[in-house]
Amino acid sequence: MSAELEQKLDGLTQEDYARGLAVFRHHLKGAEASFLNACVRCGLCADSCHYHRAEPTLENVPARKLDQISAVFKAHFTTMGRVAPGLVGARRWDRGMVRAWVDAAFGRCSLCGRCSINCTIGIPMPTLFRAARRALGSMGLVPADLQASVENSLAHGNNMAIEREEWVETVEWMEEELQAETGDPEARIPLDKQGARCLFTVNPREAKFFPLSLQASAKVFWAAGESWTMASDGGWDLTNYALFTCEDDHAAAIVQNLADAMTRLGCEVLVIGECGHGYQSARWMGPEWLKQAFPFPVVSILELMDQYLDEGRIQVDPTKNPLPVTLHDPCNLVRHGGISEPQRRVLRKAVANLVEMAPNGIENYCCGGGGGQLAMSRYRNRRLKAGSVKAQQIQATGAKVVAAPCHNCIDQLGELNKEYQLKVQIKTVAELVAAALVTPLPAEVQP
Amino acid sequence: MVNHLSLGVLAAAGWAAGGLILLRTEVNAFGARTIHAPAAGDPAAGVRYAFTKAMSPGAKESVREHLPSYVAGMFYHAGIFTALCLLVAVLCGFTLPGPVHLLSRSLLALGAMGGLSLLLKRVFTKELRGLSHPDDFLANFLTTIFVALALAGPGTPWLLSAILLLLYVPLGKIRHCLFFFVARRHLGVFFGRRGVFPPGSHHVR
Repeated sequence: MSAELEQKLDGLTQEDYARGLAVFRHHLKGAEASFLNACVRCGLCADSCHYHRAEPTLENVPARKLDQISAVFKAHFTTMGRVAPGLVGARRWDRGMVRAWVDAAFGRCSLCGRCSINCTIGIPMPTLFRAARRALGSMGLVPADLQASVENSLAHGNNMAIEREEWVETVEWMEEELQAETGDPEARIPLDKQGARCLFTVNPREAKFFPLSLQASAKVFWAAGESWTMASDGGWDLTNYALFTCEDDHAAAIVQNLADAMTRLGCEVLVIGECGHGYQSARWMGPEWLKQAFPFPVVSILELMDQYLDEGRIQVDPTKNPLPVTLHDPCNLVRHGGISEPQRRVLRKAVANLVEMAPNGIENYCCGGGGGQLAMSRYRNRRLKAGSVKAQQIQATGAKVVAAPCHNCIDQLGELNKEYQLKVQIKTVAELVAAALVTPLPAEVQP
Repeated sequence: MVNHLSLGVLAAAGWAAGGLILLRTEVNAFGARTIHAPAAGDPAAGVRYAFTKAMSPGAKESVREHLPSYVAGMFYHAGIFTALCLLVAVLCGFTLPGPVHLLSRSLLALGAMGGLSLLLKRVFTKELRGLSHPDDFLANFLTTIFVALALAGPGTPWLLSAILLLLYVPLGKIRHCLFFFVARRHLGVFFGRRGVFPPGSHHVR
C-alpha cells in the first residue's frame, strides 16, 4: 500500500467513516442488497479474473473481493451479521476494512464484469465494487491521479485539460492531412456545423497522442459522404472517468456536455468514437446519471462503419491490410455495451486475415487497463502483471496487428507490447478501415 | 414420535419460509432502481438465457474448467431437491412407487456424495478454505447430512436433520435458495437489456 493511502487512512475521522457507510447504504438498492446476500463462496469465479490468472492468490479471487464488501454489509445491515458475526463473516466498518476495500475495489478490479458471467449465482459484481468505490470516494480515498482526470473534465470539458485553441488547431491540422491524403480539397473535419446529422466525439488522447486515429475516422466519414461534425468546445470528449470514481453527480455533469452539444448543434445522432468506457458512459449510464432518456440515439462508430459497409456507402479492399489481425474486445464496449458483432463484420471485410483470440466476445479477458487502472499509477505493476493474460492471448494468435476499438485499451496494450515483447502494431478499427478504403473520387463524395 | 417430529418439520418449514419472506422484504426496502436508457435487447430473453444456456459449460468458462465441481454441484442439488420432495411425500403419507423409489435413492446417493465432495474440497483446498466462513461448512454439513439420512428412510434422525436444516435456511448461506433466483434474474435483465444475453441479440435503437 502506498504512503499516500496510509496517510489518508490516518486522517480519517469518525464522521468520515459514518459518511462512507451512509453513502454505501444510499447507493444500494434491492438488487444490490440481494447480491450481497447471494454469494455462496464456491470460488469458481477465481480464474475468470485476469488478476487471479496472473497471480493466483486469495486476495485476487472475485468472491474474496466481494466478501470484503459483503462483510461490512452484513455487520451493519443484517440481523445475522449483528448477532453472529463470526459465523457469517461480518466485519465492522473500520480502518482495516476501509483499507481492504481500497485494495479490492481500486487495486484489484478493473470492473470488467468477467466474473459476473462466470459466477455460479450470477452476481453482477462490478455493481457492488462501484458502490464500494463510491463510498470510498465520499471519504476522499479515490486515488489522486484518477480523481484528477475527473476534475479536468469538470473544469475544462475534457479529461486532459486541452484548451479550445489547441483542440481546434489539432483538428485543422488533421483536416489538412485528410485533404492531402484524399486529394480532395473539400474534405473536411467540420467543427460546430449546425444541423449535421452526426455529432462525433473522441477520446482526448486522440487529440494529444493519436491524431492519426482521428484522421482515420474522418476519412471514413468523408468516404461515406456522412453529414457530421465535432464540437469545438464542451462536448467533443467522450470520456467520463467518473464512471470509475463512481461519483454520479460528477458523471452526470460530464455526460451533460455531450447532451448540451447535441442540442446546441442540432444533431440527430450522437456517435461515440472507439472507446469502451466512453460508450458505456454515454449509451448506458448517461441516461441513468441524468435520470432521463436522451432524445437522440447514441451509437458507436463501429456500428456506423458496419452500416456503411452493409449499405455500400464505403468499399474496402482487404488486401490493403495483408498482415494477420486479431481483435481485442474492450469490456465496456462488448461485455457491458453489447457491441460485439459490428466490429467483427467490419474487420472480416477490411482485413485479409482476422484471427480471433480464445476466448473472445463477451468471454474475452480484460487487457488490464479498464476500470480506471491506467489512471492509477499506484497499481501500475499489478496492472501490467494482470495484463499478462491478454499478452498471452495475443501471442497465441500469431497476429501482427491488434485491432483495439478503445483508446484506454490501446494505451494498456501499448505498454503490454513493450513489457512482453509482443512486437505487434496496435490500431483502431477505423484505422484499418481507412487503410483499406477504396477511395471514391471526390465528386462521388456527397456530404 | 414421528408425528411430533412431523409437526416439528412443519414448524421449521414455516420458520424457513417466514425467514425468507422477511429477508426478501428487507432487501426490497432498499428500493428499486428506475432505468432510463432504452434497451438494445430483450430483457425477458436475457432472463431466459441467464437461467438456461448461460449456466452451461458452453457459455461459462468457470464450469468448463471445473467440471468435477460442476457435476458434484448438480448431483448435490438434485439430491437436495429429491430429499425435500421425499420429505413432502412422507409428511403427506404418500408411498413412492418402486421405480420412482429406486430413482430417488440413486439421486440421494449421488447428492450425498456430491455434498460430501464439495465439503471436503472446501476443507482441503487452501484458497477455498481461506474464502470460507463457518457458515459455509455448517450449511454444507447440515444439507449433506439431510440428504444422506434420507437414504435411511423417514426415521427420527432424518426428520431431526430436516428440522435443523430448515431452521438454518434463513440464517446462513442457504438463503441463496431465494437469492440465487433474484440475482440471476437481475443478471438476465441487465445483460438482456444491453443485448449481451443472448449473444448476438443487440440491436440499434
